Amino acid sequence: MPLHGQISAWDDTIKIKEVVISGNKFISDPSGYKKTTIDSSVLFNYSSGNLSDMLSENTDIFIKSYGMGGTATPAFRGTGASHTLIDWNGIDINSPMLGQSDLSLIPVGLIDDISIYFGGASIPLNSGGIGGTINLETKPVWKRETLISMNTGMGSFGRYTGLLKVRTGNYRFQTVTKVFFQNSENNFRYLNTEISADPVWQTRTNNQVRQKGFMQEFYFRKEKNIGSVRIWYQSADRNLPASILSQQPNSGENQLDESLRTMLTYDILKGESNISLTGAWIFSRLNYFNNLASIDSRNMSEILTLKAGLQKPIGENTKLKIVLDEKSSLIRSNNYNHNESNNTATLTASVERNRGRFGTMVLLRELFNNHSILIPDFSAGLQYRLFTGKNYFIKANISRNSKIPSMNDMFWEPGGNPDLKNEYALIYEISYEMNQKISDPFNLKYDMAVFRYSIKDMIQWHPGEYSYWTADNIKTVNSTGLESSVSLDYILNNLNAALNAGYSFTKAVAGGPKIENDGSVGKQLMYIPENQFNVSFRIGFGSFYTSWMADFTGKRYITVDNSKYLPGYFINNFKTGVRLPVKSSYIDLNFNVDNLFNKNYQSIAFYPLPGRSYFIKILVQIIK
Amino acid sequence: MKTYIKLILFFSLAISCTKNPIFNPGKYTLGGGVFILNEGNFRAGNGSLSFYSYDSSKIYNDLFYSVNGRPLGDVPNSMIIREEKAYIVVNNSGKIEVIDNSTLESKATISGLVSPRNLAIVNNSKAYVSSLYSDSVTIIDIFSNSITGYINLRRSSEAIIIAGNKAYISNWMGGKEIMVINTLNNQVVDSIEVGNEPESMVLDKNGRLWVLCNGGWIRENFAKLVEINIGTDQVQQEYQFPTIQASPSCLRIDSFGQTLYYLDNGVRKMDINLGKLPPTVLIPESGAFYKIAVNPANGDIFISDAGDYTQKGYVLLYKNDGTFVSKERADIIPASMCFKLRY
Repeated sequence: MPLHGQISAWDDTIKIKEVVISGNKFISDPSGYKKTTIDSSVLFNYSSGNLSDMLSENTDIFIKSYGMGGTATPAFRGTGASHTLIDWNGIDINSPMLGQSDLSLIPVGLIDDISIYFGGASIPLNSGGIGGTINLETKPVWKRETLISMNTGMGSFGRYTGLLKVRTGNYRFQTVTKVFFQNSENNFRYLNTEISADPVWQTRTNNQVRQKGFMQEFYFRKEKNIGSVRIWYQSADRNLPASILSQQPNSGENQLDESLRTMLTYDILKGESNISLTGAWIFSRLNYFNNLASIDSRNMSEILTLKAGLQKPIGENTKLKIVLDEKSSLIRSNNYNHNESNNTATLTASVERNRGRFGTMVLLRELFNNHSILIPDFSAGLQYRLFTGKNYFIKANISRNSKIPSMNDMFWEPGGNPDLKNEYALIYEISYEMNQKISDPFNLKYDMAVFRYSIKDMIQWHPGEYSYWTADNIKTVNSTGLESSVSLDYILNNLNAALNAGYSFTKAVAGGPKIENDGSVGKQLMYIPENQFNVSFRIGFGSFYTSWMADFTGKRYITVDNSKYLPGYFINNFKTGVRLPVKSSYIDLNFNVDNLFNKNYQSIAFYPLPGRSYFIKILVQIIK
Repeated sequence: MKTYIKLILFFSLAISCTKNPIFNPGKYTLGGGVFILNEGNFRAGNGSLSFYSYDSSKIYNDLFYSVNGRPLGDVPNSMIIREEKAYIVVNNSGKIEVIDNSTLESKATISGLVSPRNLAIVNNSKAYVSSLYSDSVTIIDIFSNSITGYINLRRSSEAIIIAGNKAYISNWMGGKEIMVINTLNNQVVDSIEVGNEPESMVLDKNGRLWVLCNGGWIRENFAKLVEINIGTDQVQQEYQFPTIQASPSCLRIDSFGQTLYYLDNGVRKMDINLGKLPPTVLIPESGAFYKIAVNPANGDIFISDAGDYTQKGYVLLYKNDGTFVSKERADIIPASMCFKLRY
């Protein structure tokens, strides 16, 4: 839980001894895989922002964004947006129609913990996260206290945000209520160099975002058994701006996203064994309007997920885990010929053994999609601790992971192909991790991973026999890369400092050939940067804290033959604040400058991102 | 030394970023040849202008960007030349670029159009522009390069043919009519029902308007080639394509107004007096034939091959008898072509 009862403002979870038992045994950290957890100070910094901005500025995941408030999708290790799963407490919340999530719609302030599962590490959670999984966790704090947190902010381009959080309860019952809104005009100025010989300053229009929602959580604990009820509603009404090449009258493009996510969980702990039960029902609506093109697209989806897991020790140092997952989805869309449904069930068995300096995991998963039995997926991981009692690890894993086609790929009219096969990838990964106190106030963490993906039967839309495009399993992609990050922490008395740096290299190339003289074979995929680098420095002294974040994203090709590209960009953000404690409560004043050097840049060609912007935030937290 | 040169090259490329070296394309376009509009991908903004030169037998790509230092726009759809100017209709950018057809410098940009498709010069002062998404044809003043009015058709519009004081405008998307406009007062005077989705039209030497109706993408209706007498504005003859799968497109005519050409599993050639659809193809389809053009000076047939629609396609040149001459790499989705004849 972010931030209370401490002197240094940006660092909390290290010092506070809270009883945090999430209980969810679907979410694990098996031996031999790469997983990182976003630092709570980073979550605090982005508590008024969205997941897209947070990931883009702090991780190796490239975010393809249409601009402030616009659709933002992840590209993880060279894979596509539908190959990254967004999970909420271990339940996949990607849209079944699109097979992906819009990260700009997920407010960081609602989430207690964010973990990133790279490549094969994603498999124990769910099927289909070929690139990886981003798990959003909301969880209880078992304390007898009441916490009220009010977070309001305002900033450039007509941006207003508000987040109210009330948590109360005792050691047996907890309730958490979160309510938020975010309004933004997003009417920023940008230099249009594309529509005339002389660049002209223009203001982005038809770019407003209105977002609101709430989350209600109840947690119950009886002895070692924990139950929970969670409800998450949100809506976003967005006008969508045109490409800056467009000189048409305002198209009136608008998108309304609405979702209601509900979840029940019950975890029974009996000795060393436990049983986890989860049921989730997710309703989503996505309506898209374009007055100019007379498009009125209305789409609704419902997903019911039931998941049951058993974890049991078998002998010393060895655990067996069996998970049964059943997911039914129903789509009602005026872009489909009929209502369409899909049913997927998976049965997963895994064995994890940790003995001495070795840790291993072997997993086997069978997938049942409607009436078909698919080729099973598997994963095997091995971990070796280099020195007894010290946190130096070498890890390796190999996996096969399948992705069921999205409903749009199968049923969109025209072009959807109900005969699509599932995409699958073979994933190989070796990594090295260390986490060591190097002298008294210094702690050093370092990791490096190399990976290779071979993705087969990848779905691509291509021109069909008639004058529309159709989906087929025609693409192969090979992605090879390296990720490395280092973080150095210094904690002494009232002074806290942290330096983090991360670099990733991704070479994701198209296989082939698909046509004669195929110019795309062996070329980097569009919109996958080969190089990304981010560095951040945070310092807190007494009540004051400051952080500086810099993010470099290398050039991204915008044609399949790599003949054209968008130049790389280097964006700097600066945040500073002061936290004024009043007994166990506090007031926090925070000031942000984003894109400090006012860089003119684009993530997607001809969709500008904003120049320098300011944001001021006041957080009042009362604990009783 | 080589390393040194490479370093200089590297830094100059790094500085210039996406800009290609600017050259003077005038020397390539003074001669005869054909402009090729590369549509690029919808919403990707990578449409471009190429030119195939008869003098050098070579193709030159990305000319608009090279000369004007900015992209042509999103989905350039059609181009026509009038005297020293050329008009490029850029569909999803909602604009028309008016360029000098020799230097290729932009002379004006007419903006504020709704999904414009094709432009036809009506007379010395005005042009009509069809629209995919609006119900109106836009009237352009070609002296001031500005929009002066609209003709409400109550339906979308595609191909335009001017004949005397009449304009024939097809209602392609979801339609089945040809609208007739009196060009003197810009009024709709008649409509002629043809087949589903009239996509392209040409006028022959006998004053017959030939309309190719591709039947619609859901293939519920047969495609048709319809012959209209523009003296009476009545349908003279209809030729139905033999199978419901046939989806012909891109009707063209030679400069004599005698021979029709269109795409239907390859290029087909049909004399206007044949009295039936040609049963065989002149040039069988290889790749993804997308558009054709017939050189009014010598009858050469140019075919654009869109490949996989994501990478650079080709322009194929054939003699009028179907003999292959050359294949040149254009840009992404090469499409409409416009001849620049040697004066």
